[in-house]
This record gives sequence, structure tokens and C-alpha cells, in this order.
Amino acid sequence: MRVIRAAFDEMYAVLAQMTSSLFRHGLPLTDKIAARTALTNFVLHIHPVRVRRSWIRMSYTLCLGGLSFFLFIVLTVTGLFLMFYYVPSIQHAYQDMRDLQFVVTFGGFIRNMHRWAAHAMVITVWLHMARVFLTGAYKKPREFNWGIGTLLLLITLLLSFTGYLLPWDQLSIWAVTVGTNMAKYAPIGGPYTRYLMLGGRAVGDATLLRFYVMHVVGLPLIGFLFMVVHFWRVRKDGFSGGL
Amino acid sequence: MAADFRRLVEDTRVMTRRSFLAIAGWVGFMVASAVALFQSVKFIQPNATYEDPPAFKADPPDAYPVGSTTVIIDKRVVINRDPDGFYAISLICTHLGCTPRYFPDVTSDLVESGAQISKDPDTGQEATKANPALPGFKCPCHGSRYFRDADNFYGPAPRPMDRVHIEKAKDGKLLIDRSVVVDHKFRLKV
Repeated sequence: MRVIRAAFDEMYAVLAQMTSSLFRHGLPLTDKIAARTALTNFVLHIHPVRVRRSWIRMSYTLCLGGLSFFLFIVLTVTGLFLMFYYVPSIQHAYQDMRDLQFVVTFGGFIRNMHRWAAHAMVITVWLHMARVFLTGAYKKPREFNWGIGTLLLLITLLLSFTGYLLPWDQLSIWAVTVGTNMAKYAPIGGPYTRYLMLGGRAVGDATLLRFYVMHVVGLPLIGFLFMVVHFWRVRKDGFSGGL
Repeated sequence: MAADFRRLVEDTRVMTRRSFLAIAGWVGFMVASAVALFQSVKFIQPNATYEDPPAFKADPPDAYPVGSTTVIIDKRVVINRDPDGFYAISLICTHLGCTPRYFPDVTSDLVESGAQISKDPDTGQEATKANPALPGFKCPCHGSRYFRDADNFYGPAPRPMDRVHIEKAKDGKLLIDRSVVVDHKFRLKV
């Protein structure tokens, strides 16, 4: 009996230690505990420990930056799912896209989520930029973050452009033909840029692979790094609203 | 900062071993980065593309009647045979690179709507109310239009489509080389 009780106590101690290491501060019932939780929690550390109510008025930011980031997460997760079935070669790409729509369970749902989130992200990023411009939030000391933001906009558009080729239907092929021909009109190195983008003289297998690699790894990685800096600077520069 | 750097370089008393090594390190880092950038660009530039070769063979000349227009869509080439000989057109829109499509009549809807259509500068042909239908090409992307001989007359296309080299190969077939652009007056007489 004593042995069993000792074992039980031991188990309880282990559980208690695990719990206290997961939930370090207990329920945030007082401001002090809430502040300490926000400071030490990884997920919450992105939030300032204290904010004024006026800073986070929804009608000021319209949550556009947060929505853009949320859509980026949606796109990352749904994109990961799509990669399980999609092969970036001109023999398979179109058929795989059709399979995702009509054969794979929930494939159409995931693909549509990816597609609509992509459209939505372009819109929310533009609107976010418009909001920052119209409220003058790009001004000193936030010019640097405005610069990072324009790069993020560019990356968003490039992600949209590269993703557009991947279904490999007539629309995507000719859209990329047109898009890369526009690059050719650049005054310096235009035709060379087009050659590097296409990996050849016309949109083909090499182009599809290039766009795929940039779409699933290159651009999201660069985008993620810039996002980290972007969010960090938001914290360091402080909120622009309601001063 | 520039002044500090100049002082470091010019004043030998300030140029300690430590600062010399720092400068040497930074210069080395910059050079290595520049080389890496150059290599990266060169790496993604393919040396062999395995694309469809620009030159290909079509049918023997007899297969094309005088006055005919033949679209070889897989090769994006048009072979025209006129009384004065053959010529080939690269079927790539000069606006943004889509593939125009052949129509026996690309003018009458414009004539009907009253739009001004210029004369074909090469043939002198003109679409009029009396004779509104001329053959030619329409681009599906942004609506550029070309006469049968590749001269542009409507839409955003800035210039005529390229005429490319055509010759009779040793085996009697027509040989077209899409990589060689020729003058618009070029004709292959058979």
C-alpha cells in the first residue's frame, strides 16, 4: 500500500512539473500575471506587454497586415498539401491539377483554398499598403519598415505570378509568355532576364521547374525572412495609430 | 564613417595590425560575395536547353499551291507561297509573344465598324467597303492583327512578325530556320 502511494506521489510530481513547465504563470487573472505570460510565451511574445486601447482600434488598421499574414499561413499549409500530388513537369502538371480537383479526396477544396487565399492575399497586401499610406504610417521612424513592406509586396506578386504557371493550362502558359515578354522590354538586360526566367527561348519544361522551385521554396523563404524583420520593426517602432 | 575609413588607410600610425586584417577580411568577403553572385547567375543560365531545334523540315515545295498559306502550329511557323516564291513567317506576335491564329477574313468587321485600316505596305492591298475581307492573323491575347504577309495593321503589335529563313534542302524538302530572321522582301524561288 505504501509503495503504491509512493508511486502515485511520484507520478503526481512528474505531472505537476510538466504542467508547471507548460503553464508557467497560471491563469492570467491579474494584469501582472498577464504581462508576465505575454513576456515569456513564445507565441505571445510578438505582442507588446501593454497596449493602449486606442492603438489597436480595428477601424484604424482593419487587420489588413494580420490578414495578409494569416493568408500566408493558409497558403503555406494548403500548398504543402498540394505538393503531395503535384509533379512539376509538362507531362504531369495539368493532369495532376485535374486529379486534385476531381480524384483526390478534399483535393478540390484544398486547391480552391490555395487559389482563393492567393487572390485574397494580393488584395489584402495592396489594401494594407494603401492603409499605411493613407494614415501616414510610413513616415519617420517607420520608413525602413515601409521599404521592407514594398519588398514583401513584390514577393507577394512574384509568388502570385510563379504560381499562375503551375496548373499548366492555356491561360497559365500564355500569361507567362506575356509576362516574361514584358520583362524583355526592360532597357538593360531585358532579353537575358527573360532567358533566365524561362530557362530557354519559350515557356517549357525548364520554365515550369524554375517557377515551381521559386514558388514553393525560394520566394516563401525570402518572404518569411522579410516578414520576421517586418514584424520585429513594428514592435520596435511602435504602433502608429491613436497617439 | 568615410572619414574614419580614410584615416585608417592614410595614417600609418592608426593602421594597426588589427585594422589591416579587418580591412583585408572585408575586402576578401566582398570579392567572394561578388564571385558567388556571378556564379549564381551563371548557374541558372542553362548552357543546353533541349528545346525543339530552331531549324526543321517541312514538305517538298509541290505540296504548297501558289497563293497558299500553311500554318505549322507545332513549330509556330507559316509558309506562304506567292507567285514570286516562298517565304516563312515566325508566328509569334511582336507585342508580347502569343501565337496569332489564321483567319480567311481579319478585316471586314473593322471595315463595317468604320475603323481606319492602313494599306498593306508590301502588297498595297486595302480593305474597303467594296472589298472588305482580307486574310490574315489575329492574336488571341491582346487582339493584334496582321495581314497574310505578316504586316501588322491593328492592335498593340509594334511591328510586323519576323520573316525567317527558308530554303530547299538536299532531299527536296523545304528547310526552315526560325533562328535566322530575313528581310521582308526575301523570297525562295523554286
